[in-house]
Parts: sequence; structure tokens; C-alpha cells
Amino acid sequence: MITVDVRKRLGSFSLDAVFAAPSAGVIAVFGRSGAGKTTVINLIAGILAPDSGRISVGDTVFDDTAARVSVPPERRRVGFVFQDSRLFPHLSVEGNLRFGLTRAPAADRPLGFGPVVDVLGVGHLLGRRPQTLSAGERQRIALGRALLAQPRLLLMDEPLAALDGPRKAEILPYIERLRDQFGLPIIYVSHSLDEVVRLADHLVVVSDGRVAACGPMGDILSRLDLQPLLGRFEAGAVVDCVVAAHDDRYRLSTLVFDGGQLRVPIVERPVGEAVRVRLRARDVALALSEPTDVSITNRLPGTVAGLAVRDGMFVDVAVRLGGTTIRALISQESQDRLGLRIGLPVWALVKTVALDNRSLGWLRRTGAV
Amino acid sequence: MTGGRWICGAAIALHAAWPLPAAAQPPLTVFAASSLTQALETLGPAFAAQTGVPVRFSFAATSTLARQIEAGAGADVFVSADEQWMNYLETRRLTVKITSTAILSNRLVLVVPADSRATVTLAPGFDLPALLGRGRLAVGDPAHVPAGRYAREALTALGVWTAAEGRLAPGESVRAALALVERGEVPAGIVYESDAALSSRVRVAGVFPVSSHSRIVYTAAVVAGRDTPAARQFVAFLRSPAARAVFTAHRFIVP
Amino acid sequence: MPSHAEITAFTLSLEVAAAATLVSLPLAVAIAWLLARGTFWGRQALDAVVHAPLVLPPVVIGYLLLLTFGVRGPVGSWLDRVLGIRFVFTTAGAALAAGVMSFPLMVRAIRLSIDAVDGGLEWAARTLGASRADVFRSVTLPLMLPGIVSGAIVAFAASLGEFGATITFASNIEGETRTLPLAIYSAIQSPDGDRVALRLVLLSFALAVGALWLAEVADRRVRRMLGR
Repeated sequence: MITVDVRKRLGSFSLDAVFAAPSAGVIAVFGRSGAGKTTVINLIAGILAPDSGRISVGDTVFDDTAARVSVPPERRRVGFVFQDSRLFPHLSVEGNLRFGLTRAPAADRPLGFGPVVDVLGVGHLLGRRPQTLSAGERQRIALGRALLAQPRLLLMDEPLAALDGPRKAEILPYIERLRDQFGLPIIYVSHSLDEVVRLADHLVVVSDGRVAACGPMGDILSRLDLQPLLGRFEAGAVVDCVVAAHDDRYRLSTLVFDGGQLRVPIVERPVGEAVRVRLRARDVALALSEPTDVSITNRLPGTVAGLAVRDGMFVDVAVRLGGTTIRALISQESQDRLGLRIGLPVWALVKTVALDNRSLGWLRRTGAV
Repeated sequence: MTGGRWICGAAIALHAAWPLPAAAQPPLTVFAASSLTQALETLGPAFAAQTGVPVRFSFAATSTLARQIEAGAGADVFVSADEQWMNYLETRRLTVKITSTAILSNRLVLVVPADSRATVTLAPGFDLPALLGRGRLAVGDPAHVPAGRYAREALTALGVWTAAEGRLAPGESVRAALALVERGEVPAGIVYESDAALSSRVRVAGVFPVSSHSRIVYTAAVVAGRDTPAARQFVAFLRSPAARAVFTAHRFIVP
Repeated sequence: MPSHAEITAFTLSLEVAAAATLVSLPLAVAIAWLLARGTFWGRQALDAVVHAPLVLPPVVIGYLLLLTFGVRGPVGSWLDRVLGIRFVFTTAGAALAAGVMSFPLMVRAIRLSIDAVDGGLEWAARTLGASRADVFRSVTLPLMLPGIVSGAIVAFAASLGEFGATITFASNIEGETRTLPLAIYSAIQSPDGDRVALRLVLLSFALAVGALWLAEVADRRVRRMLGR
């Protein structure tokens, strides 16, 4: 269990963050720029000291101002991946990687040099200098360096923010691999809901120096009251599915979940693999009866479970499909025209094309979280 | 250029507004051996009062001054602490030979810091190493300063030069050597008797026999190209009774 | 063909400049660190004292050294009495004078290089398990190296040319303290010393060119090491 209860003042910004999250899997700290996410993660790392409060990870207390306890960063065994990689320019890639490794107690090095290098695919870069690497390569080395310091908790402060689209897509799988293969709890700071939804199990939403919400991913995403913080067009639901079949002719895959199935562009994954799908509310249309002469492939029967008006012109509709609840964003005009009300049977329509690989996040091989 | 012209114009205007007294003259520049500092600074105003010619002095080692004059420094009169440097300039026709006059002599003494209890008899073969201990002997640089040259001659005559040669602290002038002894940085030094008389922080431990070194002769001459009545007057003034009285009071030897 | 005295002056200059630079270096790094990163009462005063030799005339510094390190001075008399060490009239004294005069130049160069070290890299090192001292040794110091090298070279060059403080404090003793500048000065004072002076000037020039070349080589090496 990671518990944070701190106050910190930095110039005109004041942080008062209280949350607790299980120290397993990925905890995303999400919020807009300037909300205080980096401050929180710096406090957990020990780079900043709290003005008052307590931070603990498992049985270890990192900071407790009342008891005058403060563990210096080098003794917290917390790995940190920075947005700007911060590789040491005077060392080679191998030198960077081994920096933390040589400083970890010799008897306690579960993460070996070879395996980490293999997982991150950086073996061919070992003799190079950081200055000669691309941004994507630098971040991979930064990941490796943090891991090899044998941390018991990994912190990542917007590690993909400095990368462009293709580079981000390149690095994300490596982070997923870290999550799945090394079993380290990760705290992942980001202002991109895409990344967060793909990687995290647990979400801490930070706004204006306060924690607005904290809980399992699915719960937080479906809370209507948090929509303003999560971004109007980012709202949606997260559905845990399993790969059921591949259609080679049409190059489509079928994903099955509790409430129906989804046809998505083909995924290069074996049948049985667990996948999390993000269904953006803006991509879901509703119909009172199943339209058959329409191009939309995914037509799911369900029931209206909730209605909320947004900004006076959109209506956020919660639709229950079996054991899963998804969301649809429609115009007020459409709502008036269809006359939706709670309990009304409806059909949720989702274009296959809308479910590209950016919407899919791959979970542990052991199954859904 | 315009700035310079402006300044010239301003100066002329000022001069016209406040004309200098008719009796005032351009000052005389006198380069003199450093050992003459106090004596000449007393005589300067006297000369000015008498002739209306103000005197400006530059005191340094004779060698330094000679080299400066050789390089074209603007001195009107040169007063040297030895004949060698005066000859040096004469050979190069840098002085008005006819004006060259011997004015003073001096004695060479061994001094120690006032609080030192060392005693020594300046006889041949005297125990210089014992006197110096771990310290050095402060002298003017024997390579060029007259007082240093006289010191080398005296030490050689007394048979202790080989012992002394590696234990010297050569100063750029005899006054620099005196200062070292005053500060107690050295256990002993060789300076002129007139220098020793000036300072309460040094004590004369012995006087070098006159026969142990060449004659100490202070010579004065007008610098070539600066032969003015005032300059000649000054050289003559140095031999006047008034001047001699002042020199004697400062423990120089007046012929 | 340079005479024995001239060669002595040459080697003495090298010796004095090298000693002054090497001995000052650790102290300069420490003081530069304090001035760059420290927050303590008296920091401004320390800054002023360190820069005094840049502002005051060299002869004044020589005189102050004489007052402090002379056999009758507070530090000098203690050193003489307790350790039997003397600075006046010795090569060590010449090195001390040169070292003091060039110290502010060294501190300035090193301090600039400390300021240039990215604090973020130091925090990264802390999160990787390095203590403060470890961070200094393994991250900060290597990254400061260009500044340290440059500071040392500047100080070495300045020491080669030091005159006022040296002649006032260490005097002009051939073989002990008569470095090239002092030897040139003596030659100029002596009758017919112009030829000697000229030879010494040429020697000084050769030394300066040599030092500059060495500086270039060192600088390039260090930059290569840091991957720039």
C-alpha cells in the first residue's frame, strides 16, 4: 500500500495531496499541466521534502514530519524515469545502465544486467554515448538504468512527453513489458489519458494541487462528476476483453467481453490474450432499434443506465451491456428526438475503424487485472 | 582629436583667466639615488624658496634611474650613488660632462634589527654564517645597485664573500634592503650609515673599514639635452653650505 | 645560447607555476563549490577576499603576504617555530605568491563550470542510490572537469608572469625565486643587460606558446571525454 498525505508550498503553488493506492500494478497520476503531478512524484522520490505530512510505501516510512523522519532519496530504493531522460553525458550507455546497479547491495540484485538489456532491446547501444542516441533510445536507456538500480517502486514522470507520436508508440510496449515481466509497482505521471488508460490499473486524478479522485481505473473513468477533469472528448469507458478469433479475409479480430463482442482491426495477438479496450463516448452512437443497413459493424444491445447534460448541448448517456457499462456522447437535439430515459432498451453502435490500436491496451498474460 | 583640441582650448582660456605669477618656472625633475631621499626632500623646498624653481624628485636605485635616463626618461638632473653609473651615462653622452660634480661620500655599515642582540667585529674572516643562522643577508643587488657593489667588495676584502654569496637577499635598492632588516625578515643587512641613522628599528652592528671597498662617491650632473640655468643652479646648490649642513645632519660625509 | 642563469630562471618559472597551480587546485575547487552552492553567512565576504588579488596591486598582496607569512608574521613565525618552514626568500614563497595572485582566476573558472552542471543530473544520481558525496565524485566533478582544466591553465599562465607580489614577498634570489619576469627585470637594471633581457623575453614567449598549445590539447581531450 502506498499512502501519501502531504502538504507542500512552492512559490504561489500549494499542494495538499491525500491518497492511498495498492502497491502493485500501475498507478497513474493524471491531471492537467501545473496540477501538481510532478510535485507529488518528486515528494515520493525524496527530491522534494514535504512541509508537513507522511509518505509510506508498504511498511517503510519515507517521510513523517511529525516524527521527524525523512529518508534521503538514495536510500529509498525508488527508481525514477525523467521526462528528459537525464542520462549522464560523461558515461557510455553501459556506464549509465550500471550506475545504479553498482550502488545496489550486491546480495540483492534480482534484476540482472543481461535480462534488462534484452527486455529493452538495447544491447547494440552499450558502447555508445548518450549524445549520439535518438530520443526514443535515450528513454529506453533511462528505463533500463532505473530498473537496474533494483528499485522496489518505479516512478515515471511523463516519460513519453518529450517524444513524438511514432516514438511514443515505440516506447509504450517497453513500458508494458516492464509492467508485465518484472512485477514492479509503477507510479506513472501523465497528462495523456490515452497512455494512462493503456497502462494503468489504478488512477489518481490531481487538480489544482488537490487529489480529486483515487480508485480503480474503470470506476474513475465511469464517474460522471469527473468528466471536466478528464477532458470532455476524452471521456469514455474501459472494457476488459479477451481475443476470441481472427478473420484473415477481412483482416479483423473479434474481442469478447461480458456484455457482447467487438470487431476491431486485426491484432497480432494469440487467441485468449487479455486486452483492455477504450471506448470513447464520442465514438458511440445510439439507436432505438438495431439498424442493419448501416456500415457500423459493432451493434450492441443494452439499457440506458444514466443521463447527464454537459455544457448545455451534449448528453452523456451511460449504457449497460451485460456486466459492463459504456458511455455514449450525443447532442441534446438527438436526446430530444429519441426521448431516451433510464431503463429504455437501446442499441450502442461503435465503428470498427474507431477502435484502432491506440484504443487497445494489452494486459498481463495471466489475464485481466 | 576634437577632445584634445577642446582640452587645449580650455587650458589656454584658463591660463588667460588666471595667469601664473611671472616668477614661477617649470619644475625641475631630479633623479636621485634612494639613499638621498630624506636629505633631498628637505633641500627641495629650500631650493625652490631660494630660486623660485620647484623641484620634483624620483628616488630609486641608481641603476634603475640610469637605465631610465638611458631610455629617455625626462630627468633634468641625475644624482648617482657611485661613479660607475655616472660614467655609464657619460660614455653614452647622456650627461653634460662638464657639470659632473662629486658632492658626497658615505660609510658602509652592517645593520641588524633593533631587537637583535647579535654582535660582530668586522675584521677579516669574521663569522658571517654564525651571524646569519638560517637567515639571509639583505643587500642591494650586487649586480647593479651601488650599495650592493660596495657590499660585495667589502665582503670580498674581508674574505667572507664565498660564504655570503649564496646567502644574499638582493633588493632592488639599498632602501629595500634596509626595509627587510627593519621588518626583521633578515638577521642582518649592509646599507649606508646614513640609511641606518634614519631608522629606529635597526642598529648598527659594525662599520666596514673604508679600505675594504672602493670610494663611495655621490656625483651629480645635468642630463644631456636638459641643460638649463636652473638645472646647473641645482647641481651647484648641492655643494652650497646650506646643503652640506643638511647632508651632514643626515649622516652623510661631506668632502 | 642561454646561460646557466637564464636556464635556471626558465626552469624555476615552470617549477613555481606548476607548484602554485597544483597546490591551489583542491582549495580552489572547494571554495568555488562553497561560493556556487553554499548558503551561509559570510559568503559575500569570502567572495570579496578571494577576489582581492584581482583588484589590489600585486605589490600590496606581496606586502600582505610578508606581514602574514614573514618570519615575524603571525603565520610565518608559527610555521618557523613549530615546523621549521620558511616562505620568504624561498621557491616555496615564490609559489605561494604566484598561487595567491592566480587563485581568483582559478576559482572563477571552476565556479562557472559548477553553475553549468545540470542539477537534474545530480538528482537523477541520488535516485539511483548515490549519496551526496558520491554524486559529487561521480557526476558533478567529471562534468566540472573542463572548467577545472581551464582554470588550472589560466592560473598557470598567470603564475608564469607574476612579478610584483613575488619580488616583494620572496625577493629576487637567483636559483630560488628569480623567475623569468624577475630575471628580465634584473637584466633591464643591469648595465648592458639588454641582450640578456631580450633572450629572456624570447624564452618567456616560447614558454607562453608552449603553455597555450598544451592548454588546447588538454581542452580537446576533456571535451572528447565528455562526448562533446
